[in-house]
Amino acid sequence: MKERDSTKWGRPDPTAKPVVAGIVDGQTLSKVRAARGDEDESAQVPLSFRLIRRLLGFTGVYRRKMIGLFISVGARAIQLPVLAWAIGAIINGPIARGDLGQLAWSVGAFTAFAFFTELTFRYRIKWALEIGEAVIHDLRSAMFRHWLGLTMGYFNRQPVGRLISRLTGDAENVRVGVQNVLFVSLVSAGQMIGCAVLMVIEDWRLFLLVLGIAPVIWGLNLYFRKRLSEAYRCQSDSFSRITATMAESVSGIRVTQSFSRERVNADHFRALVEDHARYNLVAARATGTFLPLLELNGQLFMALLVVIGGGHVLDPAHSMDLGSMVQFFFLAGLFFSPITILGNMFNEALTAMAGAERVFAILDTQPDWQDKPDPVTPATLAGRVELRDVTFSYQADRPVLRGVSLTAEAGQCVAIVGATGSGKSTVAGLIAKFYLPESGAVLIDGIDTRDISSPWLHAHLGIVPQQNHLFAGTILENIRVVKPGATRDEVRAALAKLDCLETIESIAGGLDAEVGERGSGLSLGQRQLICFARALIADPRILILDEATSAIDPLTEARTQKAMRLLMAGRTSFVLAHRLSTLRHADQVVVMGDGMVLEQGEPGELLESGGAFAELWGRAGG
Amino acid sequence: MPPPSPPPSGSAARPYLRRQRYLLGRLLRLTSRYGWRCLGLVLLNLSLLALGLAGIGGVGIAIDFLREQVQSGSPPAKFPFGWYPPADWSPRFVLLSLGLWIFAAAAIRAWLAFLTAVSTNRLGQGRIVVELRASIYAKMQRMSFRFFDANATGSLINRVTGDTQSVRLFIDGVVVQALNIILATLFYLFCLVQIHAGLALACFAFLPLLGLVVIIFSRWLRPDYEEGRKRVDRLVLVFEELARGMGVVKSFGLQSWAEGRFVEANGAVRDQKNNVFRKLTILFPLVSLLNQLSLAVLLGYGGWLAIRGEIPIGTGLILFAGILQQLNAQANAIGTVADSLQQTLTGADRVYEILDAEPGILDREDAVPLERARGEVIFDHVAFRFKPESTVLHDLSLTVRAGEKIAIVGPTGSGKTALIQLIPRFYDPDEGRLLLDGRDLRDWQLDDVRRQVGLVFQESFLFSAPVSANIAFGCPGATPEAIERAARLAAAHEFIEKLPLGYDTLLHENGANLSGGQRQRLALARAILLDPAILILDDPTAAVDAGTEQEILTAMDRVMAGRTTFIVAHRFTTVRRADRIIVLDRGHIAAVGTHEQLSKQPGYYRDAILAESGEDKGEAA
Repeated sequence: MKERDSTKWGRPDPTAKPVVAGIVDGQTLSKVRAARGDEDESAQVPLSFRLIRRLLGFTGVYRRKMIGLFISVGARAIQLPVLAWAIGAIINGPIARGDLGQLAWSVGAFTAFAFFTELTFRYRIKWALEIGEAVIHDLRSAMFRHWLGLTMGYFNRQPVGRLISRLTGDAENVRVGVQNVLFVSLVSAGQMIGCAVLMVIEDWRLFLLVLGIAPVIWGLNLYFRKRLSEAYRCQSDSFSRITATMAESVSGIRVTQSFSRERVNADHFRALVEDHARYNLVAARATGTFLPLLELNGQLFMALLVVIGGGHVLDPAHSMDLGSMVQFFFLAGLFFSPITILGNMFNEALTAMAGAERVFAILDTQPDWQDKPDPVTPATLAGRVELRDVTFSYQADRPVLRGVSLTAEAGQCVAIVGATGSGKSTVAGLIAKFYLPESGAVLIDGIDTRDISSPWLHAHLGIVPQQNHLFAGTILENIRVVKPGATRDEVRAALAKLDCLETIESIAGGLDAEVGERGSGLSLGQRQLICFARALIADPRILILDEATSAIDPLTEARTQKAMRLLMAGRTSFVLAHRLSTLRHADQVVVMGDGMVLEQGEPGELLESGGAFAELWGRAGG
Repeated sequence: MPPPSPPPSGSAARPYLRRQRYLLGRLLRLTSRYGWRCLGLVLLNLSLLALGLAGIGGVGIAIDFLREQVQSGSPPAKFPFGWYPPADWSPRFVLLSLGLWIFAAAAIRAWLAFLTAVSTNRLGQGRIVVELRASIYAKMQRMSFRFFDANATGSLINRVTGDTQSVRLFIDGVVVQALNIILATLFYLFCLVQIHAGLALACFAFLPLLGLVVIIFSRWLRPDYEEGRKRVDRLVLVFEELARGMGVVKSFGLQSWAEGRFVEANGAVRDQKNNVFRKLTILFPLVSLLNQLSLAVLLGYGGWLAIRGEIPIGTGLILFAGILQQLNAQANAIGTVADSLQQTLTGADRVYEILDAEPGILDREDAVPLERARGEVIFDHVAFRFKPESTVLHDLSLTVRAGEKIAIVGPTGSGKTALIQLIPRFYDPDEGRLLLDGRDLRDWQLDDVRRQVGLVFQESFLFSAPVSANIAFGCPGATPEAIERAARLAAAHEFIEKLPLGYDTLLHENGANLSGGQRQRLALARAILLDPAILILDDPTAAVDAGTEQEILTAMDRVMAGRTTFIVAHRFTTVRRADRIIVLDRGHIAAVGTHEQLSKQPGYYRDAILAESGEDKGEAA
């Protein structure tokens, strides 16, 4: 591990390599990330009309609100300059002339108009906020529906964390885009145009002054946007190093303490935090230069207004009215103030674009494969399963299965054993039609899974995954989720059939006990039994069971083994087995290694033949 | 870090308020450490206001000056500080000077604004946040396992990232900001009263109203925001659960059920947002309207005054309008400060909870260093509980000779893991004591005790670092030779050599690019590099398949030689290797003996052996 010198930082240089991160330096960390295949997710994407049009398509459902919104946006863009103009007009008119009656009348009108403006404002923001939220709501639902239609291969490739950030962070950025960027910029832009029109009417020569400043602002914008986005990128990179290190430190705290590394780690972390503060300062310097310079433009105009406009007023040849200067004072203020807002909006718009792009990328993801247009749905399913010379790979050049053939007669129990990565789970996934074989075929009752309807197959199939997945809710809900009409008594009967009704009812709360997100409060054995009961209620013809590897104490183990055998009785079952007792009770054992079937047969025969299985048995049995 | 003062006990009738007051005190003390810097920031902010005013004032004077020049009978322009342009200055030159004055004020203001931004960042992000983050992390590294049992990883990360920012906000968002608002309001009021006291009073009437509206709304909205956050959290949870269970959803055909669940949670988020919007869409226009109304008063009353010649138009009416807008901006800022204060207190609560917490395990004042232990461990009437109400170990006594191999078995929840975690002092016993080489564990220096103990967990955590760095984790200075020797001893050398870059291969987070068996052998190598006198193996083969288990056991045999070893296990292939087996049952020692002795006695051990290997022999194939 190389540590970089982090003490000699004169001026922080945003391009400098990051210093140490946790127990690894930042460079290594990014290598690790690259190795894990984390995409570099760009925070901003240039404006794209394709994306905007598509996003606007989602507002189609809310057409009436949209029309109202556009009207209120337009109205507001006119109202604000008019209000500013009115102030000037009242000062120049009744006040300058000393007309009290007209003053009272015009102030009354001003007040009434202010009420009307704020009423418009209320509906402007109400509709914008509601439409933005509704669009995001619809986008989220659309994403979820789309995800439901994708194949399991997609979920294996995408970490859940990334999907969540699509649903939260990216959707949130799009929301801000719709709610703020679109309408606030429209109002701001409209306000600028309105002011410009009024200024031109008032005195077009003075307005030329305003136009003269515009290129300066444009140039400033261009220059600083670039610097700022670079600074923000460094800032967020160094921040993600902090969170990554934190997460690893907490997970590894037992190791850290047992090796007395606390102080070393704390020093590393401090360097990391200081590093982040430096990037933070770089960004603050850039914004701290940019924003004041933008504001300075408005002031520059005021100075020019006094010198040049004032000159015109003094010059009889120019016939300029002093009132125009007063008007320009108010209108120019309103004209320049949206510039900062527009700058921020532009920034948010780019972020929203990045979010929209990723959200739409999900909606555009095609499933790896789809059912044929006219899939087969046989009347009954006996449960004979055959794999015929199946090859399969998740990544093009790395085959996971290489010519696997096996047959399970209806009602048989097949135990599949083999080391991690030997292809056991892939075989299970192919039988469940989560994937389709590349070559060869998976046949259910003699029909190729490519031809079978997935919903139909899944109606006859049950899976008990290794991690014993439970949903938030009661035990009862978790069991009968697969058969919504099932009564409490049916559930109890199923548990009784597995000989574990007492075990489950002895849990505090019994069937109505709430199981948390990760089934907290339940032991591994209890969770397994609940998953078994769920599978039993579904009453599938074909059952796939991934045995938990973690050891539980032998007495609990014996109970789950028994329930498992009761569950499998009368169904074609595939068990990805880790237990000798499971192997012993199987009708057939398939030993897998390196994507191939090494051995296959009855456990007794295999034991006698003295091959791979016998060796495994011998080692484990001691 | 100053010694943390203990948080007040919650015995008072209103512990919540007490806690809030305590936190406020802590935060104020923290602020006072940066007092001069804060004052500097306030001064900078006030200069910004003054310069802004100078700019607007310049325009006002120019307008009055022009009126004086163009319209005969207008009152003369009032220049500040009783100054008046010399008579030989032409009107154009006066205008030019005013223009320069406006621009100069703006330029200085821009420069000061830059300084303010940078120094605010230096103080907040560069000092306070860095200090807080580093202290929390350092403190967390020393916290006992009890602490980590009680806090989720996500919440701990949030404390270092988000909550430290909330504490910072107290300084630059609450204290500095509040001083700014108060001083700015006084300053503006002073200016307004200078122009015309009655007009100032009339316009100022709206200011408290505005502040009140903003504060009332921020209180009214807070529960809605919290509810909104909760619903978003729930949406994420529902989604995460469904995504992780996608295999179950698909295989049982639960798509429409899953969709219903998601759509319901998603709709709940939208509904709550709409609740918030309903209130927001009253607040924003109301605030804006109050601003407009104060302008209307200015135009009406001020206009009347101007007509009567009591105030000038430029330095009176126009300047007044400019100041009024700034003043109203201050009133709006009150709401932000109120929100920040709330956010700050919540964050500070979580930050100081950690900084004030007792680390749990500490060296005694007179702790003795320990070079190399022999490895004799004695449990002397030890009782231990994770939570006050549930005792995990009861009055447990046990003597282990140096070099002895002890296996610990028993059903889940019998206290096996608790027992071994007492040895490296991850927890201290609640009653009784542990003796290492005849001396109370707490008499030895903590770091030395831990250095004597090599640990391999059920699932050993590996860091995203090269293989060599992971092995040398406890001893960063280890030579490559020493690392390789440890790896060979742990039967890890062969597979490491086969990795793409050998010992330099980067491990993914938690060693995800290795198999379970490989991870455990690396953990074994890491444990023995320090040549510990005591070795603790917490069910190291639990998560590996039978073949891999064998490889690990062979390595373990070599490693255990000459060390006091505690091994927790379920599989009897592992347990049989021990000199003595301890059977734990609900925190008591139920039986002690060798494999041969125990397998003849009736009890848990014999039942378990029967369950594992002999169950229903008759049916065996």
